[in-house]
Amino acid sequence: MTAKESENSQHRPVALTINGLAVSATEGMSLVEAAWHGGVPRVTNVGCMEGVCGSCRVMLRRGKEVKVGLACQTFVEDGLDVIFMPPASAPQHHYEISDFKDGWDIHARFHKIFPEASRCRHCHGCDQACPKGITVENGVAQAAAGRYREAGETFFECIMCELCDVACPELIAPAHVGLFSRRITAHFHLRPPNLINRLEELRQERTEACRDADSEK
Amino acid sequence: MSKGITLAEALARYRPDADLEPLPELTNIDALLNTYHPDHLRDSLVKLAVGANAGDICQRELAGLLQAEAFIDEADLAGTPITDVDVLVIGGGGAGCAAALAAAENGARVLLATKLRLGDSNTVMAEGGIQAAIEPDDSIQRHIQDTLRGGHHAGDPALISAMAGDGPEVLHWLIDQGMQFEQTPSGDLHTRRAGGMSTARLVHCRDYTGLEMMRVLREAVIQHRSIEVWEQSPTVELLSNELGQQCVGAVLTSLLDGQLRIVRTRSVILATGGLGRLHLNGFPTSNHLGATGDGLVLAYRIGAQLCELDSFQYHPTGLLHPSHLAGKLVTEGVRAAGALLINGLGKRFIDELQPRDVVSSAILRECSEGRGVYIDDQRTGVWLDTPRMELAQPGLLERQFPNLMSRTRVAGVDPRLEPLLVHPTLHYQNGGVVINVSGATTVPGLYAVGEVAGGIHGRNRIMGNALLDIISFGRRAGAAATANRDRGPKKVTLEHVNRLRRALTLAKLPMTQRSPQILPAYAAGGAWNL
Repeated sequence: MTAKESENSQHRPVALTINGLAVSATEGMSLVEAAWHGGVPRVTNVGCMEGVCGSCRVMLRRGKEVKVGLACQTFVEDGLDVIFMPPASAPQHHYEISDFKDGWDIHARFHKIFPEASRCRHCHGCDQACPKGITVENGVAQAAAGRYREAGETFFECIMCELCDVACPELIAPAHVGLFSRRITAHFHLRPPNLINRLEELRQERTEACRDADSEK
Repeated sequence: MSKGITLAEALARYRPDADLEPLPELTNIDALLNTYHPDHLRDSLVKLAVGANAGDICQRELAGLLQAEAFIDEADLAGTPITDVDVLVIGGGGAGCAAALAAAENGARVLLATKLRLGDSNTVMAEGGIQAAIEPDDSIQRHIQDTLRGGHHAGDPALISAMAGDGPEVLHWLIDQGMQFEQTPSGDLHTRRAGGMSTARLVHCRDYTGLEMMRVLREAVIQHRSIEVWEQSPTVELLSNELGQQCVGAVLTSLLDGQLRIVRTRSVILATGGLGRLHLNGFPTSNHLGATGDGLVLAYRIGAQLCELDSFQYHPTGLLHPSHLAGKLVTEGVRAAGALLINGLGKRFIDELQPRDVVSSAILRECSEGRGVYIDDQRTGVWLDTPRMELAQPGLLERQFPNLMSRTRVAGVDPRLEPLLVHPTLHYQNGGVVINVSGATTVPGLYAVGEVAGGIHGRNRIMGNALLDIISFGRRAGAAATANRDRGPKKVTLEHVNRLRRALTLAKLPMTQRSPQILPAYAAGGAWNL
């Protein structure tokens, strides 16, 4: 829709339900704007309003169809039933990247941290839940097979809304599997020569500065 | 004077393949800034009457919040549950996470309290990248010079050289945390040159640099054994010792249950970000929902010195359309990659890679002198010529700016085929709480890092220095706050609030308004039109 076309379609009233309250919005509003416009109280799980922070998770009911999505990326529709979801609970999988000494045992570590990842039952719940269209199930399979770089690339657009975590019946926590894959790829494999050279130059400058300071004493 | 070129007429004139006339010479930058930059709008500035900056110039709406009544007094503290920690970090963006991680690395028990969700911040939206002098032809010195010049020589050279000097080590630390960056085929970190830089220095992760940084730091914080996170927990007031001269904790509330909680601590690190959601001078903003300037208010009330309270950054390319993204950014990276700015007459009017304040002022000049693209009385802008860039470099938008593409796709706009309508948007608070190289404020026990702190970017921040600033000073403050081996407070009071109340009464200022703001009025169940 070009700027011109959208001018004509604005101001058409749209009736929907948000958190159980009837809201009268106008066409072109996002669900966040509609919630505020309608005075729906306590809609505070809103952040960036441009689809990158993953905070404004909503359940969307259209007749018998139920979906999840992001309120800032979904526009008002007549008859839409919207529920703002509570923030995600604390993650159940624990690791600290500084505990990993090298990458040779990473496969064993991954399966210890995420034991459910190899038990995917291919229900596609995560794929359907993802508001960014990530092939989540495929990404989990790549990680479970030890292909962390590829898995990380699959999850590139992940905004950590954790809707896939909610959707997964095996409690795999796909969003965290994806982030784990990305993090260890950088942690173990990103060794850029230009950065390393500059760090070494700065280290030598510091050493020389210390030596000069010592010789002056 | 005409309101501008109507949309239909401007579209008819627009050709992505037209030959462009040479750029008119930019003769007097100061005159351009003085006439058109929103900081110089008449009636937008007042003098502060009370506090550490009494007598200084301050933006009017901000001054109202700085000189306002607090939400609580001593009676509210009775019976309030108390939590003791070594370091309290207020704010869950990039600066807060970096500070929390650095404090935890240094052995502190850390509580990170954030108003919304951990990671809800301006960091997550930063698209362009992070500056660090890593190319062979570049140096820390050049980075310092560019930052000073970009800030019109108002920045503190000690802070700037600390930050620029940290650049390469900051990248090293981020990679250790698991952050990925774009690489060249030979494995070097890919760098771009953007506005105000004398050479290529912008390291990035496609146009998701902030998201990549935030999701990695968020995960690192959540996973850290020594860091506890409280979400939906805005701070309503800091706590001081009996004399009101040292920060010894904070009073938090909860958006979920409304319960007040006292946190007693040796050090408080403010990392609350900026104030775009105050919509200064009626401008739209690129900022996230929580950017309501809470940290400035809290710091000022406890006696901290602030600086450059009349200097804000209006980013040149905020979207005018689609309307649900009004005020949201098109990253400067798009201009760095070659996109031009075109007025309603189909002409270029400014070197697109001038510092942001200059480019914004030039756009406002075009709009006010009738050469903008006019939609209605609220909305006039100029074109960001993405189709021309796509013609010259096919596939570039899809490859390097997937974030822009996916945001506009939702609204059925294709920047490869139609130019984007843009207008300056309130983006960044240039000044803030005065700090030293450790992030310490003028109040003992209180640190400030990230956008809430001032002095680094002078009167104009150049691209890529925000992401560097938050990690560099976040880590410095986290380490310094932990080194504070004070045994902690015996008594926590609101003595500083009483002091400010006395001053407000003496200055005959009204105490009807309360602050910090916490949420914009429209998000608390308010109006749709700002």
